[in-house]
Amino acid sequence: MTPALEISRLTKRFGGKLAVDAIDLSVPPGSFFGLVGQNGAGKTTTLSMAVGLLRPDDGSARIFGEDVWSAPERAKAMVGVLPDGLAMPERLTGREVLTYLGLLRGLDKEVVARRAEDLLAVLELDGAEKTLVIEYSTGMRKKIGLATALLHAPRLLVLDEPFEAVDPVSAATIKTILRGFVAGGGSIVLSSHVMALVEQLCDHVAVIDRGTVAAAGTLDEVRGARSLEETFVELVGERDSGVKELSWLSR
Amino acid sequence: MAVALTMARMKVAMLRHAFHGTRAQTAGTGAALGALLAAGTVYLAFTDPDLPAAGYAVWLLGWILGPIFMGGGDETLRPEYFSLLGLPPRRLAAGLLVSAFVGVAPLVSLTALLGLLVAGVRLGVANALVAVPAMVLQLAVFVLLSKVSVAVVGLALRTRPGAIASGVLNGAILAALGQIWVFFVVFGQTGVPAAVWYLPSGWGLLAVRGEWWALGALALLALLLLGAWAALLSRRAGAARPSTRGRRPMRAATANGAIVAKELRTWSRDLVRNHQLTFALSYGVCFAASPLILGWAGMLPYAGPIFIVMAAAMTANLYGTDGTALWLTLLTPSASDVRGRQLAWLSAHAPVAIVLTVAFTAVTGGPWPLILALLPALLGGAAGLVPLVSVYGLVPGTDPHRRAGNPLRTSEDDGGLTGLAYLMLALVLLTGAPAALAALRYGWAGLAVGVVTGVLCYWGFGLLTERRLRSHGPELLDVMRTGHKPRTTVKSRFEQLSKTQKTIAWWCFGFGAIPLVPQGIVAAVFVADGMLRHSWFLATYMPPGLRYPVAAAFAALGLAMYGTGVWVVTPRSSR
Repeated sequence: MTPALEISRLTKRFGGKLAVDAIDLSVPPGSFFGLVGQNGAGKTTTLSMAVGLLRPDDGSARIFGEDVWSAPERAKAMVGVLPDGLAMPERLTGREVLTYLGLLRGLDKEVVARRAEDLLAVLELDGAEKTLVIEYSTGMRKKIGLATALLHAPRLLVLDEPFEAVDPVSAATIKTILRGFVAGGGSIVLSSHVMALVEQLCDHVAVIDRGTVAAAGTLDEVRGARSLEETFVELVGERDSGVKELSWLSR
Repeated sequence: MAVALTMARMKVAMLRHAFHGTRAQTAGTGAALGALLAAGTVYLAFTDPDLPAAGYAVWLLGWILGPIFMGGGDETLRPEYFSLLGLPPRRLAAGLLVSAFVGVAPLVSLTALLGLLVAGVRLGVANALVAVPAMVLQLAVFVLLSKVSVAVVGLALRTRPGAIASGVLNGAILAALGQIWVFFVVFGQTGVPAAVWYLPSGWGLLAVRGEWWALGALALLALLLLGAWAALLSRRAGAARPSTRGRRPMRAATANGAIVAKELRTWSRDLVRNHQLTFALSYGVCFAASPLILGWAGMLPYAGPIFIVMAAAMTANLYGTDGTALWLTLLTPSASDVRGRQLAWLSAHAPVAIVLTVAFTAVTGGPWPLILALLPALLGGAAGLVPLVSVYGLVPGTDPHRRAGNPLRTSEDDGGLTGLAYLMLALVLLTGAPAALAALRYGWAGLAVGVVTGVLCYWGFGLLTERRLRSHGPELLDVMRTGHKPRTTVKSRFEQLSKTQKTIAWWCFGFGAIPLVPQGIVAAVFVADGMLRHSWFLATYMPPGLRYPVAAAFAALGLAMYGTGVWVVTPRSSR
């Protein structure tokens, strides 16, 4: 079976620093794949390279067998992406952003209008009909980003920190949508540093540490009998002493 | 004072980190140009007493209008950084003022103000002593006037009427400066107008020349401006809010239509773009109309063409102002973002330019062929060059949702922005040249030339931009995301070449111009004009049938040399 996303030997160097060191990952189709790691471990860099937003120094990425760099049109049509912290067409309203992107993806006008209506309603963005994206809160930006990723009904979703700054009610909605997507045959790769969330949602997980894969497999293979958090801290945590306290903070 | 010094140290540290790679190069170029101007100003102090007063008036206007024209002025230290410290506004303003003295532009201006010292020394010891505080106060007035004017325009840019009004006003001022000769003629002035002595820029000189009150006046003005700036700083919290009135639904049905609709909505909703558009319009109209004061209408028909050139310069960083939104373009490779943006640029500017040109030319009754030839040539040239220059010369902008309280500040690299704007001015003018020359020589044939070059520029430059986006899209996104260009500049690529390759490249770039320009183009012009046996132009010595072929062959050789040079230094793409 062709993997939904196959990353082989992806490498990226920024200046003298090796940010991603020949990472191999294979995301089985129909899986909910969690990518966990500390800040700066290389999660965003890896995902950016995997979807064609950052040129790797070496290695390749394939989406359902199509190479992201040599067959970008076919590969990118099958993936929906939510990047972390990038700009949107800021002077459009949420509905306009979806209309614009749907037409850009080559969807029919009526289809776009219908899907935009559904997405705005489900993500509770339809109340802000007259608000431009530039005026959105951080959580609203995440939600409109997720809507753009879902709009063309891709077979693979690549989501960078989708739950950051999202309120608990919206987070529950998003979880339902994502679970439904996987149940319907879709595949998801999601990065996060919230272990509980990954444990709750994902069936596969990879731990990224200093630009390499420290562990990967099904959730149970990686965490064994312990919690994911314990496994994670053991894999990547401070190897020497414990955490220092700030003595001057206590009165 | 401790706060001020800390802020100054903070700024030094930030500048040290910022000045690397391309930004160091732009800053270096800017500093060199500035030093040249400063040296010129100091030189004036050795001559006529009126000239330095005029010189400092120009420096003052540069400080006020420069940041409004491009980039919003130096904001390495944003007032927002300190909003949680609870500093009183006056102290914050004083601290920011001290830190504003750190930087290339103030240093260059201070150098120019050495002219005060020169003037003082020539007059006597007391005058020389007065010159030192006069220099500092004068610089403070420059910096503060700049900050206050940027803050006022920034406030105006929060509402549409404000944005339009300040665009009209600034365009008119800049145009009046460009046409200053008109006013000289009107007032029967032959030399420097006496008014320059009474502008604040002349007070330092007045003080040095023994009018001691001027020193006090400078100090008072600086204090007043500091107070005004402090008041304005406390009003700048929060970003500009576009109006939230009813939105028309997006009716586009195709990918191209969607891009046009998105761009046009940005044009109408982004108040900075409103300001730029009215600025260009006001500049064009005022520049062309000001000779009317003298009863001469000959420049009036050029209002439209001038508007086009200025509007292109204002949008020179088209892709940079949208910031990292480029990722959406990268993820939808089958849609053509460039063509949509070109169409949108034309839809936003062409109607205004056409109405302006036709109406004003009708008033003067001509010269129709020249004006109508220029119109399509410049419109096509600008619509082609704007995306091309913005992709090749991309100045990384600050993402719209991350900009601070100064709406004019769309990038941290305002030197780069200004350079790009001037480059665009020159390039767009060039695209109008063939049509203008043809119209001047052959009349209506120029119109055909204008249409052809316009269409060619629109189509060809658009194609080049698309190719560049396709081949370098991820790199461009990376530049926008990190805010600086990768350090593998042309120079270091050049160093990777072998010695033979380097020699070939040197020869090609160094001497390609000789066959192309004098022996090719210029010789062909001489042949066309019947100027034979002309100095060293080989084609003019040839028998009749060989003259054009020889010139053409030389031009081809020149182009081939440039082509070879480019081919040699172009890195073979790794992917």
